[in-house]
Amino acid sequence: MFGLALLLVAVSWELYKWLGPQDGGTVFGWSVLPRANDRAMPHVWEMLARYAEPERRDTGGPIVLVVAAGAWFSLRLALAGFVMGTLVGLALAVLMARFRVVERGLLPWLVLSQTVPLIALAPLVVSWGGRLHLGAFEWPRWLSAAVLGAFLAFFPVAVGTLRGLTSAPAASLELMDSYAASWRQTLFKLRFPAAVPYLVPALRLAATASVVGVVVAEISTGLAGGVGRLIIEYAREATADPAKVYTAVFGAAALGLLMAGFVALADFAMMRNRPREAIE
Amino acid sequence: MNAVDVRNLSKVFNQGRPNAVAALIDIDLSIEPGEFVSLIGPSGCGKSTQLRLIANLLEPTTGEVLVNGKPAGQARLDQDYGMAFQQAALFEWRSVAKNIELPLELKGWDKAERRKRALEMLDLVKLPEFGDALPWQLSGGMQQRVAIARALAAHPPLLLMDEPFGALDEMTREHMQDELLRICRETSTTVVFVTHSIPEAVYLSTRVVVMSPRPGRITSVIDVDLPPERDVRTREADAFFRGVTEVREALRGIGPAGSGGAP
Repeated sequence: MFGLALLLVAVSWELYKWLGPQDGGTVFGWSVLPRANDRAMPHVWEMLARYAEPERRDTGGPIVLVVAAGAWFSLRLALAGFVMGTLVGLALAVLMARFRVVERGLLPWLVLSQTVPLIALAPLVVSWGGRLHLGAFEWPRWLSAAVLGAFLAFFPVAVGTLRGLTSAPAASLELMDSYAASWRQTLFKLRFPAAVPYLVPALRLAATASVVGVVVAEISTGLAGGVGRLIIEYAREATADPAKVYTAVFGAAALGLLMAGFVALADFAMMRNRPREAIE
Repeated sequence: MNAVDVRNLSKVFNQGRPNAVAALIDIDLSIEPGEFVSLIGPSGCGKSTQLRLIANLLEPTTGEVLVNGKPAGQARLDQDYGMAFQQAALFEWRSVAKNIELPLELKGWDKAERRKRALEMLDLVKLPEFGDALPWQLSGGMQQRVAIARALAAHPPLLLMDEPFGALDEMTREHMQDELLRICRETSTTVVFVTHSIPEAVYLSTRVVVMSPRPGRITSVIDVDLPPERDVRTREADAFFRGVTEVREALRGIGPAGSGGAP
């Protein structure tokens, strides 16, 4: 199914390239249709062929290795961001589920936090991080990008988990009460397991959000080595070498897919024993 | 020592606010060990509230509740009672045996002991081969059996049940009633049973407590004149019909049942 969808995207790309106006379509001076010429829209096979050619003209190994190295670098940042975001999200959800007043006070701020553009936040995080010296600990540059990934990732986890933690049926909660179970016992034996079906889609969102966060953070903080940086570098060469930027773009997309794949595995492991029609 | 002692009990929800509701007033009830007492009445008569007060899931506004001679709160901490609801409320992520082990786990029993007791309980409710099954693989009646096994796993002397068979079809229901009587006889458990059904109350009980709404109170207590051993023939006996008629008349005395069922 996924292969078919990929093929459809490639076909429609080529179809537009064949039918679309070479210099773009304008209506009353507004350009509404993208240009279909070779410089704006290289052929799919040109993009693929570009992977085998060297990064700089006539020197070094094929660009696929450069992109792969960049994607590996970004993957580690995204994973770090994902883990941090998930832990923070879980902690916030537990706090909000435990104390109604925290939920009422905190939830609007969490929503608000997601409206702050990442581009505006990135330089701030870098400069705060740069000023942070905890003993021997020096804030590494890559950590800023991971933190920005976490910033996008924590939100779906916090909201999804909160919903899940409060989804335990009244009878189950009364049952735990009748056993004089502590809040902690109820949390681990009832609320968390009941939250798992809500957690899975939240983690999927968080995984892709952490990739977006890291890629954008690399671009806006000028962190070298990752796939985000490659995208911005290659985009500058788009006139001379239009297929080049797409090699990096696909690298970033593959990264997102890989992260979503990890979550799908986790989903399979966690939902093994559940009735299929549970939720979603 | 009585299994349950309820003295001068009342419960007002939202007390001191404009929307205050008197759910129960002047409740006095003593239940001896080995009795099977049903609470019956129209919606809003406070029968479920009374059960929750005995279970200490709610705090009384006035009066006191003793379970096994202890204050209800202490009895809850000691797991002196087991509870079963209309929804079986099994945890879907746990196997049947693990569901039964839940109260023991919370009490800190060790793993082998827990498993041993769970298997005993599965034998008791006649589901010996279902320990590793998952709850959603069982029928509604089987799920209720598991819920009963879980409620009795710690061998509490008292079982509190809130319309446990309300969601079952008639045939399964009658079968479950026989099973419940057998289990209680084998374990000599005292039962307080909330129900909407007059025949169910009469068939199961040694005493039927009839309650009226607004505010909830006890209007009559009817001793059921049936032998302790009950079976299919009991359901067709004259004494059974006399009991049903007596309860029905006691309920009629307090006006028509409110619309809809209690949740």
